[in-house]
Amino acid sequence: MIPAAPSAFRGFGRLTLDVRQDLPAWKQAAFVGLSLVFGLAISVAILAAAGIPPLTLGNELAGVLTAESLRGVLVQAAPLILVGLGASLAFRIGFWNLGIEGQMIFGGIFAAAISIYDVGPQATRLLLMGSAAALGGALWVLLVLFLKNRFRVNEIIATLLLNYVAMYFLFHLLYGAWQDAKTAFPQSSPFRPFERLRDIGYGINSGLLIAIAGVLAAGWLIHLSRIGFYTRFISANPRMAKIVGVPVQTATIWIIAASGACSGLAGFVNVASQEGRLTQSFSNGYVFSGVLIAFLSRNDPIVIAVVGFLIAVLFIAGQTLQVFYQIPFTMVQMIEAIIVMAVASSEFMIRHRIRWLR
Amino acid sequence: MNLGDFLINWLANAPATAVPYALAALGLIVAERSGVLNLTAEGLMLIGALVGAGTSLLFVGHPAVALLAAMLAASVVSLLFAVLVVVLRINQVIAGLSVVFFCQGLTGLIGTLAKWQNKQLSGLAPLKIWPLSEIPVIGRLFFTQDPVVYLTILIFIAVNFILFKTMLGLRIRAVGENPAAADAAGVSVALHRILAIVAGSSLIGLAGGYISVVSVKLWVTGMTGGRGWIAVALVVFARWAPWPALAGALLFGCIEALIPHIAAAGIQVPQYLMLMTPYLATIAVMIWVGAKDRRGSQEPGALGQPHVREERR
Repeated sequence: MIPAAPSAFRGFGRLTLDVRQDLPAWKQAAFVGLSLVFGLAISVAILAAAGIPPLTLGNELAGVLTAESLRGVLVQAAPLILVGLGASLAFRIGFWNLGIEGQMIFGGIFAAAISIYDVGPQATRLLLMGSAAALGGALWVLLVLFLKNRFRVNEIIATLLLNYVAMYFLFHLLYGAWQDAKTAFPQSSPFRPFERLRDIGYGINSGLLIAIAGVLAAGWLIHLSRIGFYTRFISANPRMAKIVGVPVQTATIWIIAASGACSGLAGFVNVASQEGRLTQSFSNGYVFSGVLIAFLSRNDPIVIAVVGFLIAVLFIAGQTLQVFYQIPFTMVQMIEAIIVMAVASSEFMIRHRIRWLR
Repeated sequence: MNLGDFLINWLANAPATAVPYALAALGLIVAERSGVLNLTAEGLMLIGALVGAGTSLLFVGHPAVALLAAMLAASVVSLLFAVLVVVLRINQVIAGLSVVFFCQGLTGLIGTLAKWQNKQLSGLAPLKIWPLSEIPVIGRLFFTQDPVVYLTILIFIAVNFILFKTMLGLRIRAVGENPAAADAAGVSVALHRILAIVAGSSLIGLAGGYISVVSVKLWVTGMTGGRGWIAVALVVFARWAPWPALAGALLFGCIEALIPHIAAAGIQVPQYLMLMTPYLATIAVMIWVGAKDRRGSQEPGALGQPHVREERR
């Protein structure tokens, strides 16, 4: 113990910061919950300043949960869950996959190519489109993995820049060879009925089944498969993993390919369910959503499904605000960023203790 | 049009397109020299661009006021980043990305609500340095640029001086190289990091304000179009040294300035494939940096690591 200073010199005291040894789980959860509430309060305050009274906001959010809108939420949840899986699989190995939009675009392009060039019989068309989309997304991210391993190119910047490259390639197709001849809008001609993801009853779109299959597959990959075991080893200590003979390269390639495939499938789900054709903006706003979902769910597939659903509610509410209050959709990104900042800050309170010494 | 005219028209535009890259990269270098991995450029440039555009709509005919407001606004927003990474010690990648997407959302919201979208701004006239501007070719290339181009060179000289010739610069670099040693020597790590972030961000804000107020003369949502990410790559390319960053910025200025001139010269190139070139060139440059060996790099030793006194690593 440090002896207390003589009382004459105490003054106002000072703040000190210690590193906490550990904190009970309920207190940790309380800190995360409090910071989440704090972040949402700031978001509500900003929206109030933008001219949406909190009461109206509450009504809009409640409106999202009516049967009619809930269908939209479930459709929206599918791509969000998939991009969340995409981001989290790469995070598990310490790879920042910020190229989710580019991978979605190439997923969409590969799927649309199957439709446009009429590949394969009608019965297996959707399966073929989905596989092509997964392949497209995986190839687009493996390119970055190659650059990282071979030339030590930083994947954060490379994946972000390749989003722009993918976007302009999409524009090149949509304003050129793939433009819909009938409407002359920058979008492909609509997919035929057997090329679209249809509803399977109870207002649930088959895109959601792909997302659920993705959750199960990702859960198997990271918790049960050999690759998942290697992944945990590599992320804990890459050098040790290499020394004891873990196939670091192979495991990394598989997990990153799976990450890209998830994002590619998200692109496929978006073009084949919501849009029904290749459009300019089907991937907008998914990069940070993927990061957010992976971050909040701590890379756990089951939690990703839950958080993905909640973010889908935010997306649908954002679309409503866009239509009725002319609030730009980028507002959703702003709220997502505030949530991440708030929850990341709670980590500080969990790991440190602030004390007022007098 | 002959080749000579084409070259002069192209290269005369290059300094102006290079300015945002140069200023943003310099701002990032200042922050990263203090040991903070700074990915916020894309977002802070948008803040600078929006506030610059808004201010020039309010104070018509005073572009200098608009650029100052852009610098100030970016500095204020960067305080958020500074608190997140220096005080709260959040992972610097997560914090940087959050700030970028926060700024993208916020600028989109404010720009739309204030109805600043697509409104013509008055801009900034080029400054002819007479009589040098009358020299053929050279006068056009080097002495008929807008004032910010000349100011950028002065800023580079000043920042270089402060970083490498003053006590303040030494402290900032010490904090970035070995925070524990700097702390033991009585240099406040937190204070110098916050200072470096805020000061560097004012340059990033100027870069953004320059895009909206001087180059494009409009505010469009998301108008920086990835230039901030290219600036982040430029810092790696320049190995955290100011003058190579200026050279790299000029290279990217030349590449970006080429795009409209190719089309204007009547050369048939697919437009959207042409627009990919800055991004592909950035990746090519990063491959080149990665392929050669790392000796001589001035990468700060503690880049990306938060400093906690007496904490074991």
